[in-house]
Amino acid sequence: MIHRYSRRELIQSLCGGLGTIGLAGMLADEQARAATVHTAGPHFPPTAKHNIFLFLVGGPSQLDMFDPKPSLQKYAGQRPPSTAGFRTERVTGGLLPSPFEFKKYGQSGIEVSDLLPNLAKSIDDICVIRSMYTFNPTHTPARNLFHSGNIAATRPSMGAWISYGLGTENQNLPGYVVLSPGNESGLWRSGFLPSEHQGTLFNDAPTEPDKMIRYLQNKELDQQQQRKQLDLVQALNREHEQSFGEDEFLEGRIRAMETAYRMQFEALDVFDLRKEPESVRNEYGSTPFANGCLLARRLVERGVRTVHVFYGPGQPWDDHKGIDKALRGRCPDMDQASAALIRDLKRRGLLNETAVVWGGEFGRTPVSESGDGRDHNPYGFTMWMAGGGVKGGMVYGATDEFGFQAVDKPVSIHDLHATVLHQLGIDHEKLTYRYAGRDFRLTDVYGQVVKDILA
Amino acid sequence: MIKFWALLLAATPLSGQAVNAEFFEKEIRPVLAGKCYGCHSSKLKSPMGGLVLDTKAGLRKGGNGGAIVTPGDPKASRLLSALSYTDAELRMPPTGKLTDREISAFAQWIQAGAPDPREEAPATAGPAPIAPKGMSVEAGRKWWAFQPVSELTAPAVNDTSWSRTKIDRFVLAKLEASHLKPSIAADPGTLIRRAYLDLTGLKPTYEEVQAFVQDKASDAYERLIDHLLASPAYGERWGRYWLDVARYAEDNPTSEATNPPYPFAWRYRDWVIEAVSHDTPYDRFVKLQLAADQMPGVSRQDLRALGYLGTGPVYHKDARLSKDVIETLFTDDWDERVDAVSRGILGLTVACARCHDHKFDPIPTKDYYGLAGVFASTVQAPRPLNEIDAETEKRFMDAAQRMFFLNYASNLMRGEPGTKPEESFKKADNYKAECERILASMESLKDQHPEMYAYLSRMVPRPKPAAPVNPEPKPPAPAANVEPKPPAQPAPRRRAGGSTEPFTNSVFDEGLWVDGSDPDLTTLDTKPGVARDLHVLPHGNVAAPGDLAPRHFLSVLSKEDPTFHQGSGRLELAQRIFGDAAPLAARVIVNRVWDWHFGKALVATESDFGTQGEKPTHPELLDDLAARFMANGWSLKWLHREIMLSATYRQSSKPREDGIQGDATNHLLWRMNPRRLDVEAYRDSLLEAAGTLDRTAGGVSADLDQDTNARRTVYGRISRSNLNTLLKLYDFPSANLTSPERELTTTPLQQLFVMNSPFIQAQAEALVKLVRSEPGVAFTPEATVRALYRRVLARDPSAKEIDLAISYLNGSTLPQYAQALLSSNEVIFWP
Repeated sequence: MIHRYSRRELIQSLCGGLGTIGLAGMLADEQARAATVHTAGPHFPPTAKHNIFLFLVGGPSQLDMFDPKPSLQKYAGQRPPSTAGFRTERVTGGLLPSPFEFKKYGQSGIEVSDLLPNLAKSIDDICVIRSMYTFNPTHTPARNLFHSGNIAATRPSMGAWISYGLGTENQNLPGYVVLSPGNESGLWRSGFLPSEHQGTLFNDAPTEPDKMIRYLQNKELDQQQQRKQLDLVQALNREHEQSFGEDEFLEGRIRAMETAYRMQFEALDVFDLRKEPESVRNEYGSTPFANGCLLARRLVERGVRTVHVFYGPGQPWDDHKGIDKALRGRCPDMDQASAALIRDLKRRGLLNETAVVWGGEFGRTPVSESGDGRDHNPYGFTMWMAGGGVKGGMVYGATDEFGFQAVDKPVSIHDLHATVLHQLGIDHEKLTYRYAGRDFRLTDVYGQVVKDILA
Repeated sequence: MIKFWALLLAATPLSGQAVNAEFFEKEIRPVLAGKCYGCHSSKLKSPMGGLVLDTKAGLRKGGNGGAIVTPGDPKASRLLSALSYTDAELRMPPTGKLTDREISAFAQWIQAGAPDPREEAPATAGPAPIAPKGMSVEAGRKWWAFQPVSELTAPAVNDTSWSRTKIDRFVLAKLEASHLKPSIAADPGTLIRRAYLDLTGLKPTYEEVQAFVQDKASDAYERLIDHLLASPAYGERWGRYWLDVARYAEDNPTSEATNPPYPFAWRYRDWVIEAVSHDTPYDRFVKLQLAADQMPGVSRQDLRALGYLGTGPVYHKDARLSKDVIETLFTDDWDERVDAVSRGILGLTVACARCHDHKFDPIPTKDYYGLAGVFASTVQAPRPLNEIDAETEKRFMDAAQRMFFLNYASNLMRGEPGTKPEESFKKADNYKAECERILASMESLKDQHPEMYAYLSRMVPRPKPAAPVNPEPKPPAPAANVEPKPPAQPAPRRRAGGSTEPFTNSVFDEGLWVDGSDPDLTTLDTKPGVARDLHVLPHGNVAAPGDLAPRHFLSVLSKEDPTFHQGSGRLELAQRIFGDAAPLAARVIVNRVWDWHFGKALVATESDFGTQGEKPTHPELLDDLAARFMANGWSLKWLHREIMLSATYRQSSKPREDGIQGDATNHLLWRMNPRRLDVEAYRDSLLEAAGTLDRTAGGVSADLDQDTNARRTVYGRISRSNLNTLLKLYDFPSANLTSPERELTTTPLQQLFVMNSPFIQAQAEALVKLVRSEPGVAFTPEATVRALYRRVLARDPSAKEIDLAISYLNGSTLPQYAQALLSSNEVIFWP
């Protein structure tokens, strides 16, 4: 376990240009110090180096995309006794059949609705988990649970844990990047982990890089002028350090300045989608979510450890009414971009080292709300995973006859976290952090790796 | 229920299997071993509920409540109802319901007579979990941190000329034992900068530095310290340190109907600053924050102190969630209070004892619930600041508390009427009517306390016009005699900003119970003036309460009966902390103050003085200082002087080869620790250098992102849900939990802020303008550079630095130069 006494000292002394690098990254660079530092991870050979989390804020409807339930048609409008026990948030009526048609796709023959023609074509690369469940039917706590394993807003997010455990491979970019068209929440917090592990938010609605991150570009100076100014700053810094003496903080800040200077251009480059060929951009589409997916690929390609892409702003997938029309409007760009991401990663040989996860904070009810909508459903819903050692063309688990509750091989949020960490070579029971007198984990005292879906 | 079992048995995927020994080994034993043995094993000293499941005999016998399995009759077997979570009193395993498949396996197994092939010896399915063996309360009484403190004789030292105060002898003795020498004294320019930043969070001006450097009187430094301790900036600086420990913020992690922002939180912040400025004795300072409303001779203004509890984070309790879920959410809130008080004030991780006895420290679960009961008997609410008699205040508080819930419940029932809209609307109307009745009963407030009446009237629900009609199920047809709906009015939403109305976010004594008797809406049952003792909740599970834990203080710190009797027990808690536990409380705050002065604490785990914490580097020094701190009336200003007048504090912070070799982490204090500025001192000093700092004290907070906000950072809005970017960037702690220390990082993203933010650019522009307007500054580049150095760094530039400036200015502008100067390391360095 960590050599606690020097934790703060370690961070202070090593942060410098390595500010966004986790302990493991530091270790690689600072072998000499390895003896005094704990080893966070990896604990065993990983099957993935990166994690991309596509998060559909609001709770997408599994029943209209990945979990076909013919019984909804058969008992349409009725409320069979087995569905009576589930408390829903709002007024709900009888069973609402999906207005969408399911067909079998790929060699695996997995059923996908006609809302998702592109993902359907990639289904043989996807593992559909139909038996997810969660503990809270309310958006904010459920989202906290999803991102940090706890409903309280105090725990570090999964991305922060991964950054802490593995660090980044690119010192010029943050190790944990969040792409979202809104700044709606602190879901990418580092909690009690050192703050360099918090997610760095980039707004992916615009495509001009300097609009995506604050302070990325100098509005006053051109590159040459900026270099000249920085040269002056560094000359002053060296003068100062000469009079004070060698100091890790002073040295670290000199390095961090240079990293920041380079980051401006590296980020400008990586975030500039105009540098992608027209054909690739067309493949993804041009919505914020499409930008996010394409950026996610560009970021993992450059060594960023974790990228979370939020489909927002607000909680668009919260389809309490008019779900038919709403999904017809929203699914095409989500489908196109998510599928393009899988294809693109695969083409570049990155899919086998990138754990892609898709889902929302919960699913939706088979019973109707407002006649044509669906209420929140934490009891059973679908997520999918692809790449990073996950079996493609597989369906895992099942909900009941109507898709209300996960009944076969239920997978909890903690199980999902344990599985993603496992892909990255981390034993979720060993990735701990000593805080407030005890060791904390992402999975608390829960979580089992879903081994059956791993190749 | 019968139908449920029938369904389970029928739907089971196991229906084809024979229920035999193999079935037990495959389906039953793994679940018992994985989910139950942790608490129900013959290897445990005291298995939960007296139930042992790892032996055949134990399973057959059952626990304290009798048999749990009736072979052949699943319906009559308590094991099955516990597993299926149908019994609200007994749900197992507490960590989460088993899968239906697992439950149906148990049903099948019991149906088939519960065949158990195990030998009559304990199972050997795996190593039994080792019962955690924490320290007993008896053994704990001997723990170093709990011992009385007394003044100690300073150790003998070889170098008798270096020491200035008693502190120095303790430090020097250790250095000499390690063959290290202390560093020379810092030069006066460094010393005055260090002292200014330390006590005020601001830098001295060039003129102040010059005056100090030229003052050759032997008491010049002492006078400087006294001057700084008396300045208003001192309270702003040291109040902020406490606010980290107090996890001060003005809203909640989420902001929903039952946990809106705290509009009067800023009054607590102002109270802390004032109290610190006035050198309120630390024991009284803390007592007021826990129980100002129960202490004699306390002014109403001091009720602001209760913001410590009154602005603590709470989570949304959606009344449609079940009783157990709501109860759990409340236990989470209480847990936060236990954690804040125990770690923040006592340096003990009591919250570790929520689910089981503390695994290392002498803190039984019963002690945890004894403390949690205090907070279960204390509710948050704004209290009036104006003078008011106790009876009227009580009536007001009760009314406000009830109306808050009625308002919420009524809006909820109307806005989201659930599956039985008719009933819901009726409920909404009833709640509203009750609200109106309560308001009517408070009419008498109108004349004497119109602000309080106005406050209450805002809580009467103002339903929006009827929601659009849903196709199914049909909302009730409006009855003919229904009164017309009032015209649409904006819902009484509280804005995130602060309010200056005469109230303060506070607490008062009221026991709180969760009422699950209404199947549609979980309600709250509050009893003013009645305290609530909690039951121990093994595994934190509200559905399986254990023994009653009357409200009481930590056993290990109590010399006599630790039970609390007065109201919630808040005052008794405060008295115990500064009675039986005073030595510990003194050690904890002395150690924090030491940390804030030196950037490194004597006990490196500032909020953990238990067995998992670090031992002090200088135990005698800590004890002696704590004893003298108490003897000097718990005066923080005494402590500051004692520390800052020491030769230890006045050392140079420059690196020394022998020191780095001998003690790289400077545990022995062979030099002062050089540091990075915290975000408050950094932002404030940038504003001050540019001449833009607004020194207005106190009042409602403003967003730090506003261009026009040039007030000290301590007056910026602190949010739990959306912390300001600059604060986040520079390691401001999350206010969701008490924070023992800031981990000061140095990241590239911070440098992007320095290089490219409009904030820094604006300060550079303002700085140039200011220097240009100073009388007597010649219009030459050299004179301007000199003036800039004096403003920003309070010193004159060297010849080399002037050369660098002149050559840079050839082709660049003065604001660009000024920005470079503001970006340099020296500006953010605290030597």
